[in-house]
Amino acid sequence: MGKKILFLIGIVLLLTAVSASAGGKQEAAAAEKQIVIYNSYNGDPEPRRVDKELVQQFETANPAIDVVHSIVAHEDFKQAIRAYLTASTPPDVMTWFAGNRARFFIDKGLIMDISDVWESEGWNKSYPKGFRAMSSVGGKQYFVPNSYYWWAIYYRKSTYNKLGLEPPETGEEFWTICEKLKADDVTPITIGTKWRWTAAAWFDYLNMRVNGPEFHIDLMLGKERYDDARVKKMFADTWAPLVRKGYFIDNAASYTWQEAITFMSEGKAAMYLMGGFIRDSYPSEQVDDLDFFRFPVLDSAVPVGEDAPTDGYFIAANSQHPEAAKKLLSFFGSAEAQTYNATELKRLATNSEVDLSIYNAVQQKGIKMIQGADFVAQFYDRDTTPEMADEGMNGMMEFWDHPDRIDSILERLETVRKEVFTE
Amino acid sequence: MAMERASTRLTPWLFLGLPLIIYLIWVIGPMFCTFYLSLTNWDGLSAPGFIRFRNYARLLQDPVFIISLKNNLRWILTFITVPVVSGLVLAMALNKSLPGDRFFKASFYAPMVLSLVVCGLIWSWMYHPENGLINSVFRKLGLESLTRGWLSDQHLVMWAVIAVAVWRQIGYVMVLYLAGLKNVDSWLVDASRVDGANSWQVFRHVIMPQLAPITVIVITISIIDSLRAFDLVSVMTRGGPYNSSSVLANFMYIEAFNNYKMGYGAAVSVILFLISLIFIGIYLRRVLRTEEA
Repeated sequence: MGKKILFLIGIVLLLTAVSASAGGKQEAAAAEKQIVIYNSYNGDPEPRRVDKELVQQFETANPAIDVVHSIVAHEDFKQAIRAYLTASTPPDVMTWFAGNRARFFIDKGLIMDISDVWESEGWNKSYPKGFRAMSSVGGKQYFVPNSYYWWAIYYRKSTYNKLGLEPPETGEEFWTICEKLKADDVTPITIGTKWRWTAAAWFDYLNMRVNGPEFHIDLMLGKERYDDARVKKMFADTWAPLVRKGYFIDNAASYTWQEAITFMSEGKAAMYLMGGFIRDSYPSEQVDDLDFFRFPVLDSAVPVGEDAPTDGYFIAANSQHPEAAKKLLSFFGSAEAQTYNATELKRLATNSEVDLSIYNAVQQKGIKMIQGADFVAQFYDRDTTPEMADEGMNGMMEFWDHPDRIDSILERLETVRKEVFTE
Repeated sequence: MAMERASTRLTPWLFLGLPLIIYLIWVIGPMFCTFYLSLTNWDGLSAPGFIRFRNYARLLQDPVFIISLKNNLRWILTFITVPVVSGLVLAMALNKSLPGDRFFKASFYAPMVLSLVVCGLIWSWMYHPENGLINSVFRKLGLESLTRGWLSDQHLVMWAVIAVAVWRQIGYVMVLYLAGLKNVDSWLVDASRVDGANSWQVFRHVIMPQLAPITVIVITISIIDSLRAFDLVSVMTRGGPYNSSSVLANFMYIEAFNNYKMGYGAAVSVILFLISLIFIGIYLRRVLRTEEA
């Protein structure tokens, strides 16, 4: 009996000793190095490189902090974010979209209030009012906008030069160019709609140009009906003729947006409505042949709206390492990091302390275009809810194959809109 | 004596205990959890609100659900015919010791070794309208009129995806039948030949009846596999264009993880589960019976 008790006591002592030493080790490690978990969606090669380099720069400047960085493909990230946010140990810092998509999580209390960082970093002054408003809810800041990019119609300079064409400014000029290109056996416009959102860009621009940005944004917010006569008119009178006349490449739905670039780089097509990131994926030896113009103004009486999606960062509300996370965020929002990001990726920084002279001619042109807009939207699937966007993009794809089904498609979208926005 | 009996009764439970607990936590538990979720409007973030059978009522009116159901049905019908017949024909042909039969067996089985994701990617390239193998061959042969946008044509896309699944399944069915043919009594075959039966009669009246049990298994496996269809659709089309190639599993995934309608997605998976349950039941009964026999 005595032996048994001794044995038990021995075991207990041993266990306590082991757990104590383990606990001690953990504490020691924490004192040596803080960690911060950073998940980002910069999956494409160029943004991935820059993202990693920025993290390295931060680690060099803050040797006491270890950044655990995972890069997740863009689409997968969008699907995983709810799981991240509701986890008990979420990633501390994450990339995300400004505007409605961030607002949704802020309203649910899943994003940390970082007004103190905005205050201490002086961002209330160094960020333009528009971006500050985009990051604030109820006077508190939750988001750090990092960069934005513009959408425009990209075109092949060599094809334009060969046919003696000038970038169009009005609808009339645009249709004429399309006809001339067709006559020369060049498909006017390339597009890869396999993952659908490229078609949504056409929807955004045509709807903004025909019906005005105000109506467009109200439609995105569910305040206007999809079966409204104005939406129908845009589809029937503007978009359908583009499809029917064969201005877009065949089998567009077979290609991803990157695959569709090939038609342009091979000279089989001449134009592509795309975001500034098209340069990342365009063959590098040809990228100088690429230029862009503002989506033509179809009706000079309608204010000009542009899509300029803004990306940025936030901290999860139940972050386990808020101190280190705030430090990382301060770095990402700094003029220094934003300058690096903007120079490397040719995007536009949001911090106004970034020196404008770092921008090349292309970027200067993009900034001018966005500054000349009367209204700036984010993008179809960022301005409306995910479910509405999903149905809407399916409707656009069906329209693409069957321009005669406009009425039934819009009726269906209207049913969805009612469901989504009344719940 | 009494002690001994208690321990013999207890021992199996002790051995079963651990797997049972694991099974309860990771299979049975989530199953009930999913059923509960299907009665709520959970969006993945907020507290789930109980809405009884509203998700199911809405499903019945959802055109995408109907399309997906029809596509699953197409998949099942194709799967229980084309690969089963082709696999059987191949097995019959390769069952004789021909020169190089091993090479052919291995070749036909090879696609099965690839993961569905890899198959999907390879075939996406083959289907590429501009530079893909299929359209390029048609063009070389002067059959321009046969070229298609295989994955962008709403009427073709489902068949184009099913074709990949069939291509992969044939080798699998072949191997199952080859195993079955090993058990065919060669005495009976020889006897029927002596009795003057021709090859077709031997196959139809002597070999086929002996392959009946394996055929039932092949068909139920095919049905279960087609209900599980997800990977190929997800990699090749994500259900597009405009849901033409949507199947139930893919529809469930998009509703739950893309549109964040967890409750609605759960309802789809419950329906899918109930349909699968019928065939899994048939399969298990068959397998258990053969094991007992």
